[in-house]
Amino acid sequence: MKEEDRNPSQAARREFLSKLGRAATCVGAVAGAAGLGVVSNASGKSEPASEGASFPTKDYDWTQHQWAFGVDATKCIGCLRCVEACKKENSVPQNAHQFRTWVERYVYLEGEDAAHIDSQQDPVNIEASGSQKEFRFANRYKNAKVEKAFFVPKLCNHCTHPACVQVCPVGATYKTKDGVVLIDHEYCIGCRYCVQACPYGARYFNEEAGVSDKCTWCYHRITKGLQPACVEVCPVGARIFGDRKDPQSPINLFIRNNRVQVLRPESGNAPNVFYVGIDKEVN
Amino acid sequence: MPTHIFRLLCLMAGALVVAMIGKSILTADSFYRFGHYRANSVPEIAAQEPVFQTARYCLSCHTERVAVWSANSHKSVTCEVCHGAAQGHPKNGKLPVPKDAVKLCTLCHEAMPGRPSAQPQIEVAKHNPYASTRQQCTACHNPHSPKIATALVKLTGNAAAGKERATSCASCHGAEGISPNDTWPNLAGQNAAYIARILGAYRSGDQKDVAMTPLAQALSEADIQDLAAYYGGLSCKAAPSASPVGDAAAGKALAANCAGCHGETGISGNPAWPNLAAQKPGYLVNVLKAFKAGLRKDPMMAGVSRGLSDADMANLAAYYVGQSCQPKK
Repeated sequence: MKEEDRNPSQAARREFLSKLGRAATCVGAVAGAAGLGVVSNASGKSEPASEGASFPTKDYDWTQHQWAFGVDATKCIGCLRCVEACKKENSVPQNAHQFRTWVERYVYLEGEDAAHIDSQQDPVNIEASGSQKEFRFANRYKNAKVEKAFFVPKLCNHCTHPACVQVCPVGATYKTKDGVVLIDHEYCIGCRYCVQACPYGARYFNEEAGVSDKCTWCYHRITKGLQPACVEVCPVGARIFGDRKDPQSPINLFIRNNRVQVLRPESGNAPNVFYVGIDKEVN
Repeated sequence: MPTHIFRLLCLMAGALVVAMIGKSILTADSFYRFGHYRANSVPEIAAQEPVFQTARYCLSCHTERVAVWSANSHKSVTCEVCHGAAQGHPKNGKLPVPKDAVKLCTLCHEAMPGRPSAQPQIEVAKHNPYASTRQQCTACHNPHSPKIATALVKLTGNAAAGKERATSCASCHGAEGISPNDTWPNLAGQNAAYIARILGAYRSGDQKDVAMTPLAQALSEADIQDLAAYYGGLSCKAAPSASPVGDAAAGKALAANCAGCHGETGISGNPAWPNLAAQKPGYLVNVLKAFKAGLRKDPMMAGVSRGLSDADMANLAAYYVGQSCQPKK
């Protein structure tokens, strides 16, 4: 008592040191636990690496490919076989408002500046097909004075800098090494940020499954050496698909032999679907 | 340091420990392997089975069909476009043959603004007015080789030689190729390529007729060419025919169906197909009946005649007999 009175600063120091010791114990525990976490994480990471050099399948190495897609709108006849094939191939809900790929029709009438735009989900076209599971373009401009018209197939652009990947809060969508943007349906929490973020409207929300969905360029087909289903069924060759790493691939020939453009280049997403034969109104 | 601050720090440190342990347990093993995503989801997506199997798959059994298809203009339209995805076939049964060909074919071939001009397109109402009721596209077109074959016969005949050979034909077809009988066809002015083709068919047995078969079999290849040249060069001067039983006006409406091949007024656009203008009505009716009954064989005419009643045939014959056989200038 007397001693403390005599030297209060010493007592305060002793108290501080004892507290510091306790705090150090706490921090040590944290660091230890964190270390444990890191170690267990690292061991988890090394596990799948033992499968071998080829990823994602034993016959397909994604570092050897860089996929890209071409659309020749001057060839498209609007038969919508691609849309129906895509739905079958990828189990897209059988209705007239959810699509992984779709076709738009741009019609300029004489004396009008703006284009009339419709797609297969337009009520008039649904009525013409007679079903929400089959699609056809109604011949609605048969008797109109059409100055110019064309069809434009649309799909996910598999951008080099995809906005949808950037906004995903849980890492459920990502860019693969071979240039495809995929969705991990197990990790998707259904927040729909990505649906909002896509400047092309390429994503839709699957209410039944509670996840976002979109075109994968038929990743399960291209990794087996097949073409995407829409390219496979297109009767006029309006859809072109191939590997940018193969100089003689259809897509490289397409890009080399045509003046190509991408949709909304100003968005900075750097799309990988290249278009021929569209107006600036198409975006 | 005040005690409450110290406790708060300890609590936060504890929460951090729990969070990090939790994350290490709950994060999927492959999550950070290539980036901020679960690497194992890539092989999972890649493992999905393809639904569309490509034409190579079809080729493994349907060799003949694929050979016909791949040699013709529909070769860019793969099997599964019309027959549906082949996953599970043949284990799970047959793939459908499209029933409503009009609906299917017009998906690509209906004339529509926006379709490129290189795409073959039809105005359904003109090309096939009965599309909605009875006439399928497949009546005339083989979907595996849709272009109508017009096997052009080379014409090498000599009309003068043909005139001599024609003496044996004159008793039925008339000295100048104008038949005296309502049920035998006029030959004068008929397309030479058509005459040569039909005589060749009688000779080879592809087409049969009690009278014509033995006569044609007595002809040589050169005789046929000469006869075709002779009759093709004759004037079809329209001799008055027996007054027809049918209604020509009704026939005219029906004849819009035939115009694609036989011309609007019965003057064929292609020399391999016959002119019908001013032809004997009884003969035309008999031929149509023979096509309908399958006695005369032609894939296109079989389909076309299937939908015609006896009255339709009489009306058509009445229309054609009234047309001028002189080609329009």
